[in-house]
Amino acid sequence: MRRVGVGLTCFLLLAACGGGGGGGGNQSGGAPKNGGTATIALESELRTLDPMDSSLLVEREVFYNMYDSLFTIDPSLAIKPGLVKSWDVSDPLNYKFTLQTGVKYHDGTAFSGQSVKANIERYKNGATSRRKSDLASVKSVEVVDDGHVTFHLSTQNATLLATLVDRAGMMLSMDAVAKGGANFSLAPVGAGSGPFEFVEWKRNDHLTLKKNSSYWRAGLPHLDGLTYRAIPDVNAILAALKTGDIDIARTIAAKDVASLKADTSFVYHDVPAIGFNGFELNAGAAPFNDPAKRQAVAMAVDRYSILKNINFNIGVVAYGPIPPSSWAFDGSEKIYDHADAAKAKSTATGFTFTFKTTSDPVNQQAAQLIQSELAQAGITMQIQTEEFATYQQECANHQFQACNVNWSGRIDPDGNMYAWWHTGGDFNDSAYTNSQVDGWLDDARLSADQGKRKLDYANAQKQIVKDAPYVFTSFGVSAQISNNKVHNFTLYPDLMIRMAEVWKG
Amino acid sequence: MTTYILRRLVLMLPVAFLVTVGVFMLIHLTPGDPALIVLGEDRSPQAIAQIHQELGLDRPLYTQYFIWLGRVVHGDWGRSITTHEPVAAAITERLPATVELGFVALIWSLLVAIPLGTIAAVRRGSVVDKVATGITVAGVSVPNFFIGIVLIFTLSVSARLFPFGGYVPFFQDPWESLRHVALPAIALGTAGTAINMRFTRSSMIEVLGHDYIRTARAKGASWRRVVFIHALKNALIPVVTIVGLQIGGIIEGAVVTETVFTWPGVGRLAVESIFNRDYTVVQGVVLLAAFSYMVANLIVDLVYGWLDPRISYA
Repeated sequence: MRRVGVGLTCFLLLAACGGGGGGGGNQSGGAPKNGGTATIALESELRTLDPMDSSLLVEREVFYNMYDSLFTIDPSLAIKPGLVKSWDVSDPLNYKFTLQTGVKYHDGTAFSGQSVKANIERYKNGATSRRKSDLASVKSVEVVDDGHVTFHLSTQNATLLATLVDRAGMMLSMDAVAKGGANFSLAPVGAGSGPFEFVEWKRNDHLTLKKNSSYWRAGLPHLDGLTYRAIPDVNAILAALKTGDIDIARTIAAKDVASLKADTSFVYHDVPAIGFNGFELNAGAAPFNDPAKRQAVAMAVDRYSILKNINFNIGVVAYGPIPPSSWAFDGSEKIYDHADAAKAKSTATGFTFTFKTTSDPVNQQAAQLIQSELAQAGITMQIQTEEFATYQQECANHQFQACNVNWSGRIDPDGNMYAWWHTGGDFNDSAYTNSQVDGWLDDARLSADQGKRKLDYANAQKQIVKDAPYVFTSFGVSAQISNNKVHNFTLYPDLMIRMAEVWKG
Repeated sequence: MTTYILRRLVLMLPVAFLVTVGVFMLIHLTPGDPALIVLGEDRSPQAIAQIHQELGLDRPLYTQYFIWLGRVVHGDWGRSITTHEPVAAAITERLPATVELGFVALIWSLLVAIPLGTIAAVRRGSVVDKVATGITVAGVSVPNFFIGIVLIFTLSVSARLFPFGGYVPFFQDPWESLRHVALPAIALGTAGTAINMRFTRSSMIEVLGHDYIRTARAKGASWRRVVFIHALKNALIPVVTIVGLQIGGIIEGAVVTETVFTWPGVGRLAVESIFNRDYTVVQGVVLLAAFSYMVANLIVDLVYGWLDPRISYA
């Protein structure tokens, strides 16, 4: 999940693939058939197969089919059992987990409490671990016995279970890790316990997984294997889908969705995803250190026009950072529902700023549309197109006035807000600071009461939207894009393609 | 001859050194932080600092360069910043795909260019000559990525005659391998075809005007023998030069084609590594490309001697 994959992917793909309403997937098509293989397109090449080092969405997409996590989610984003069968979190500093029994890794070693402890310690202490911040609140893991562990927390953390759905909760065979040595991330032979196991990874060409015949979830998976192919171009992905070289894609260009939907050889469904699209305004420097100028931009942007003209009405208009797929979604938050050039003019007008984006054509079109909308409010926007790594560095280092950055989203609303708008947050490129917002976000992170958390997020969202360090434009979608031989595909808002229950016929 | 080859090999070293300095400076001075690329959505100031330290990016640039150079001299090309894959392995793993693509593209180019160029020279002003000239102009004018896209949509997506992308090693399944390599090879080889045809034609015209051709005809040799045995071999000297440069430039030429066709070769590795600011891989690939050029030039010089015995390497 690359945040800055931003411009590159979101306006183009996610946002582009966003929306529509769709049919929700899960095209069962009769009794499941076992056998066959499926080929899945990845929109970029993987860099690692070790959850410890991972930072890309496409990597997670593979991991969910190779590794099991301590927790899973259902399509409504509710936390469900994974390798943890049941849990007791009544003591907010000591989470007690009961583990599944009879689970074996692909190398034949057993999953146990000791294994959980070893994995969490590896993620917390590994020299190249990118999971340290995920698990910062975990002080230690106590192995009660083979089937029970207790997570001792240094601070309360209401988001921990959601965190353990993802890479920080993925369990690996420590024997396989040791055997893999320095090349483990390139060839994690026997490391997972998931529905498919690693066979080979020919970088820039394909990654092959085969069926785990001893999978602990009875009767699964249905397919004999999966092949992933990295095709870093949406037009090429569509071409490969049409030629039958791939069966499933996660994303295509928005302009192609209607024609694919009309073709009965293919299936397109979508559900609201968990990220958001828009652009950052730098509250730490002129001109946007003046809140009135930020608000004027937010007022002048016509979100419906962007959705229609750039995203081909795929997705929905966004008013804040929490999407409709989240339990914390607040549908009443619509202070910039329609563009209002007159109101924007009366708030602040006659200033000029630079909008940074990438060379991606869809990003360019979106920038030009925003530019023309702002011009009607007397605001001059200059578009500065940059190569991705340059733009990423400048946005991250606050060297911008406006920057087109999207977010792929997190299961828990904390992941869509804290790092972005808490003072000093890791993604607070806008240098936004508001003590009230900090208080709400801190409180929501610590509270175990979901009702209270929802209220905190609603309050924080209202303030953030009003202050406009970020102009929200749209929420994207998670889509099933496949040929019609693919059945029983369940769509999840987190954009992950889970293949355990999928079959081909 | 051996002394000549050794001298040329030794002379390659300073050139290679200058190439490494140039590439190192260029890639490191280009804006962009590999730590941000590596961390993506998991970035934090602590993680960024940790990666800078791991990669030695917190040290002066010249220190980083000499550390890298010292390792390369000892045969250690380092590991990729983004994948941790050994750079030498990353390149050698992808080299067969690039070599196969480049080789097939070159064969395709020569199979079309030499006969057409020869016929165009022999029948100057004829329809064949005009068609060949037209192909030449089109071949060098149309960028290979566009040819690639057109080929994909016509022969792959619409006609379904060829698969889209993917690579099958030749020795694993020769037929499938050729089916997969056909379109990218045509796309990659088209510009070369045009250039080679042009060189063959003009060189052939020049050679056919020489006295020894007239002598050969006067001695009763058939026109076909004169053209293909007496003239063609000599006419090919400039073609060999340009083909040599094309061989050296396989990696460079493959950069765009491999990206369009998602071909898992060194060219695509180079593109991804540049976008990812994967310094170690970029330096490795460029060093390899530079050596390819230098070795190809040496081979071309040696082939001259075979084609024209008057050239000696004393």
